[in-house]
Amino acid sequence: MTESGKEHPAVETGPPPARGRLVGTFLKYSPLLLLALLWEGVVQLGLVSRDLLPSLSEVLKAAWNLAREGDLWQNGLSSAYRGAAGLALAIVVGGSLGIAMAWWRPVDAFMGPLVEALYPLPKSALIPVTVLWLGFGDGSKILLIFLGCMIPVTIGAYNGARSCEQALVWSARSLGASRLRVLRDVVVPSALPELLNGIRTALALTFVLLVSSELIVSRSGLGYLIGFLGEGGIYDAMFAVVLVVAFMGFFADRLYQLFVRRVLAWRE
Amino acid sequence: MFMFDSRAAPVKQQIVIDSVSHRYRPARGRAVLALEDVSLEIAPQEFVALLGPSGCGKSTLLYLVGGFLPVEKGSIRVEGAPVAAPGPDRGIVFQHFALFPWKTVRANVRYGLEKMGLAREEQERRAQGYIDLVGLKGFEESFPSQLSGGMKQRAALARTLAVEPKMLLMDEPFGALDAQTRSLMQSELLALWQKTQKTVVFVTHDVQEAVLLAQRVVVMSARPGRVKAIVPIELDKTDPHLFRSPAFAAKVDEIWSLVREEALKAQ
Amino acid sequence: MARVILRLAPWLSVAAVALAWELFARSGAVTPFMLPKLTTVLARIGADAASGDLLHNLGLTLYRSLLGFLLATILGIALGFAVSQNRFVRWLLDPVISVGFPMPKIAFLPILTLWLGFHDVSKISMVVFDAVFPVLTATIAATAAVERELVWSARNLGATRGELLREVLFPAALPQIMTGLQVALPIALIVCIVAEMKLGGVGLGGAMITASRFADSPGVFAGIVEIALAGYVLVKLMAALRRRLLAWHPEALAPASV
Repeated sequence: MTESGKEHPAVETGPPPARGRLVGTFLKYSPLLLLALLWEGVVQLGLVSRDLLPSLSEVLKAAWNLAREGDLWQNGLSSAYRGAAGLALAIVVGGSLGIAMAWWRPVDAFMGPLVEALYPLPKSALIPVTVLWLGFGDGSKILLIFLGCMIPVTIGAYNGARSCEQALVWSARSLGASRLRVLRDVVVPSALPELLNGIRTALALTFVLLVSSELIVSRSGLGYLIGFLGEGGIYDAMFAVVLVVAFMGFFADRLYQLFVRRVLAWRE
Repeated sequence: MFMFDSRAAPVKQQIVIDSVSHRYRPARGRAVLALEDVSLEIAPQEFVALLGPSGCGKSTLLYLVGGFLPVEKGSIRVEGAPVAAPGPDRGIVFQHFALFPWKTVRANVRYGLEKMGLAREEQERRAQGYIDLVGLKGFEESFPSQLSGGMKQRAALARTLAVEPKMLLMDEPFGALDAQTRSLMQSELLALWQKTQKTVVFVTHDVQEAVLLAQRVVVMSARPGRVKAIVPIELDKTDPHLFRSPAFAAKVDEIWSLVREEALKAQ
Repeated sequence: MARVILRLAPWLSVAAVALAWELFARSGAVTPFMLPKLTTVLARIGADAASGDLLHNLGLTLYRSLLGFLLATILGIALGFAVSQNRFVRWLLDPVISVGFPMPKIAFLPILTLWLGFHDVSKISMVVFDAVFPVLTATIAATAAVERELVWSARNLGATRGELLREVLFPAALPQIMTGLQVALPIALIVCIVAEMKLGGVGLGGAMITASRFADSPGVFAGIVEIALAGYVLVKLMAALRRRLLAWHPEALAPASV
């Protein structure tokens, strides 16, 4: 419940000084630091068995070792390749498809039903079928991510292109621009915010699909590594990889948001 | 004919506002002084208007009397006791009605009565009485989203009146209504006031509305809000043609010139 | 006439896709292994239903995902209210929520398995872990958006703190909370299925992964159709529940326009 009085006018104040912002960010995230200390404390004090919960220091050491021994990089690269390839394909194909559907009615009529029917389908349900088609290797993961992420990207591109103001299109046409140029110079830029939002959803979905499929049906990759370490009883390393993957997802989202802000600011 | 009789023996003031200042602290940024050293006394059964430009703190003052904001500097006493929290003795009516959208009109009006712990039949009886009083008979089972603006405000009034508060605190209650409904509601409010004889503190930025309804108009300065002037209105409120009388126009002009300076400052 | 077509539109989409599937499968462009005919898949679903397998698997999956969803709802709403009412809780949970939200929480499944075993408990916990986030964020946003005047009116009429929470904040926040629930439900279903795929055993997920291991193509596709149908029915039920609970909401009372 905030005290946002209607009568209270805007206060003349600038952004807080840089040092203030840093302190502010630290205070904001400090509960996580407390959580980390709590974790370490609980295990060191013997309140929780080390078999169930390796201490934070052990996990960090295991992470360091994995990185040193190359397991982390090898599997990380494998996962990164699959994720990037699948997402890139989804963006290119999905983005073009969405804009094409918004721009040319026959494409909409043809592809519309397919997109609509696939939208409510939970994408992870496609894991077994991609394995059926392409086995346990990279191909099935890339296909899975491509199919899964295409939907949010297509819908984002479609809605974005549709929302482009008619007035803008008409004024561009009246100035003599060809349909294709209008598409490139007017429709695509105004579709950008929604398209970028769709890609953000797809990015999170990429991580989920990647981890899910690698946990279940893979012989390499970070998801596979987690399962492998778990089955081998090497729990400190397992926890380490879980955290690495989880934080990769978090940082990817944050970096993406920064990227989006740059792109949209540049466009203004 | 109900007029403030200045010849009567001095009445014990019902609301005493003494040197109140208030700082508004937004979530981000510096604090702003909304009210500065405001003092005001309001007698029982008086109809007082708080008038001023946007941002002058008139609503803030109302909220302080209502107990919704804490009094940090100065004091506010209602019937001798300092204001500590909101309560049914000081009924509030908001500009945007604040009806509970998930309750019917009847359920809304009964809410305060439930809180008072009255017996069920008594609740029903009183609620129906006030629904009839504000002219909403037949709409008891309607939801707020099915009502027009004027009807919503009547429902809000009924809800507040049902708990029989000592006074009504009204925050630009007709500001969200169209001109015709507003005019209608103004005459109805006057009639209601004359009938129920409650104290009314009425916040508005509309000079004509203030002159039409109030016995005294408190003109406030631009932010930080101070009491600029208190103008008594000695006009016959029961006159149906009051709006067109020269005395009315003269009063409006008098007050408007006071407000105008402040309105320009607030720009 | 136009109204009828609009209402039928989603069905037409599905019919179009179904037709395309059947024709494509029959065309010979792909092997029956890669894409079995829709009729084969439907026959398979029928056979599973008759043998009781479908009910068994579907029932278990629904049990786990719905129980997890229910727990996530209670936990999410309770925590959400706590965050909105208490500054300390807010400070504590804000970073946890904002960091946890974009994480692929399924990565924690092996840890949950380590702690809670291979049976229902770990699957349900995974569902709770994933589904609680949208409920939590929706509740926090919803309570923050409640008009100040509604709360003040209630206090003015004599409501105590507890009554404020139960009688004013909760119903006022309900529309947005329900939206959060509507987002969380499909998440609950799919997370349960993925957990079942990893841990095997009975359930739609387990059945599908077994089918893929046995190269049982109709079985895999049958699973996809079953999950799609289950998801669709659940979403529709949620929408009906929303309409019922929010009968007073302006969007519900406004006359439907075509």
